[in-house]
Amino acid sequence: MNPQFKKGVLELCVLVLLDKKDCYGYEMVDEISKSISISEGTIYPLLRRLKKDKMVISYIKESQDGPPRKYYQITDLGKEKKEELVAEWDKFSTGVNNIVHEKLMNNLGDIEDE
Amino acid sequence: MNKDEYIGKLNKLLRKLPKKEREDIISDYEEHFIIGVEKGRSAEEISEALGSPKNIAKQIKAEYMLRKAEDKQSAGSVFEAALATAGLGIFNLIFVAVPAMLLIAILLTLFVLGGAMVFGGIFITLGTVLKPFLPNFNITTYDGVFGSLVGILYGIGLTILGLALLAGLAYLTKWFYGLALRYLKWNLRIIEGKKRS
Repeated sequence: MNPQFKKGVLELCVLVLLDKKDCYGYEMVDEISKSISISEGTIYPLLRRLKKDKMVISYIKESQDGPPRKYYQITDLGKEKKEELVAEWDKFSTGVNNIVHEKLMNNLGDIEDE
Repeated sequence: MNKDEYIGKLNKLLRKLPKKEREDIISDYEEHFIIGVEKGRSAEEISEALGSPKNIAKQIKAEYMLRKAEDKQSAGSVFEAALATAGLGIFNLIFVAVPAMLLIAILLTLFVLGGAMVFGGIFITLGTVLKPFLPNFNITTYDGVFGSLVGILYGIGLTILGLALLAGLAYLTKWFYGLALRYLKWNLRIIEGKKRS
């Protein structure tokens, strides 16, 4: 997949996950990797940027199994950004689907005509 | 690569960053390793999935420099950001740093010219005005009432022209600064994209 595209998608995925619940970095990597392949290391620079842009905040929480973990929590600004990105994504993916779908239907039409 | 090797490499690559910032970043990756091992992955697997420390360090450094440049608009930090971006590839050194430095050189030259015009103008004005009082102080060629008048007007005109040039340059420099930042950002996005593919 186009890497530029992937970068924007990763930001969208992180914000969506954090909108559901607070997560630590590894958890998010795990969750996202289930659906799309990412270079895992890139999530931390992304989280730093989101934090500096005040989209998320972080806090340390003890864990039963292992060392304390750095959790991330979405801010109101982050939620706004998430809504914006989701809307953009919906519009974009619908548009692409329309094109792909229409093409498919035309092809089918062609086949039927023959 | 095992955990210590990976962290060590990343730490070394980020040595230019402030200590606190660096420690914060390193702790993120340490946590990642620890949790990964807990979940039953090997350190080799984890470092493989993380991607090379070099690319991560480049991404972090470039973002850091850019942010620094945005925070305090100083010529030094813009230059650092330019360098960080240029460090991402020779291609960029040629297409970012060289044109930027060329423009900076032109701007500097014009600033010097503007300054010279202002000083020269003041010098000619004063020289002409003071001439009747200081006959030995023979610095301008403007003589007589009419000549003096021409000299004074010429001096004042030159000063005003110089000041106008400086004001124009200040505006141009500010505009150029904004443009440079935007250009660097654009570059960063392109390079980051390339690195990740």
